[in-house]
Amino acid sequence: MKLLMVSVGQDRYAVPADIVTQILDPALESELHLEPTEAVYRGERFPLRNLHTGAGEERGVSRIYLVLGAARNRAIVPVDGADAIRDVPSTAIAPLPSYIFAGTGRVFRGVFSDGGEPRLLLDQEGLL
Amino acid sequence: MSGTSWLIRFRVGDAEAALPVGIVREVTARPRIARVPGSHAFVTGVALHGGVALPVYDLARFAPLWSVPRPRSRERAPVDADHVIVCDWGEARLGLLGNDVDVVPSAPPEESQDRAHASRCGLSPDYVREILHREDEAVLLLDPERLFASLGVPAAEPRNAGEGGGEDDPARR
Repeated sequence: MKLLMVSVGQDRYAVPADIVTQILDPALESELHLEPTEAVYRGERFPLRNLHTGAGEERGVSRIYLVLGAARNRAIVPVDGADAIRDVPSTAIAPLPSYIFAGTGRVFRGVFSDGGEPRLLLDQEGLL
Repeated sequence: MSGTSWLIRFRVGDAEAALPVGIVREVTARPRIARVPGSHAFVTGVALHGGVALPVYDLARFAPLWSVPRPRSRERAPVDADHVIVCDWGEARLGLLGNDVDVVPSAPPEESQDRAHASRCGLSPDYVREILHREDEAVLLLDPERLFASLGVPAAEPRNAGEGGGEDDPARR
């Protein structure tokens, strides 16, 4: 399972690479406009999933925007950086128990070892 | 004549607490823990334990456990807890942060004033099964059924949990 490693504030997460359709640099994208809960890219509206808020983080300085898509669902996720792609066997990803979450809108699905550090895998269904 | 039962004693906040050794799988040095945004405030994060996601709880942040509000500075102190007590509970596995972890034999409970004594130690009597006295100190034996249920830990998870329940397959296998 190919995973894109991203940073959000002080944390690093993994995103399933096959749902990342584009990586946008806002400095180079004149057609990307941000609203509080949505992003407009080339005239199309996308839900904006702000992981910084969930993590209790302030927005990072250098940000990029991941355009995620699967089936008919799409979303844009701001992150501070994307620095690697890792191939992690699906058997190495341990599922997170649902009862640790305070609400129903969980955005993390599993955890795996990334060089000895536990790394969270973002949940495709929670994001899209 | 009954045999000696054993307890895992640990310090949480300012209290000496204990759990029955029967529910404790292992006591480990504090592992690396990934915090999980969106989880309960008393969940420090998750660690990997034998390939399994181990949710790690900080009881010092679990407000209902305490009979008096804890100052914020104290809430932060257990972050430095140096051990994790790994417990098996039904089909769930969880970790509790603790300091000064030790295995001790059980002792006869104090016959009276349990609730008052628990309160003096800062713990809510609702979560204390017995007060045990060892030398000059009181050890509060926690009620795991009540505690874990209040933490949201299911007593037993169905093997084929449906949506929103149990552990899911993260890789969509």
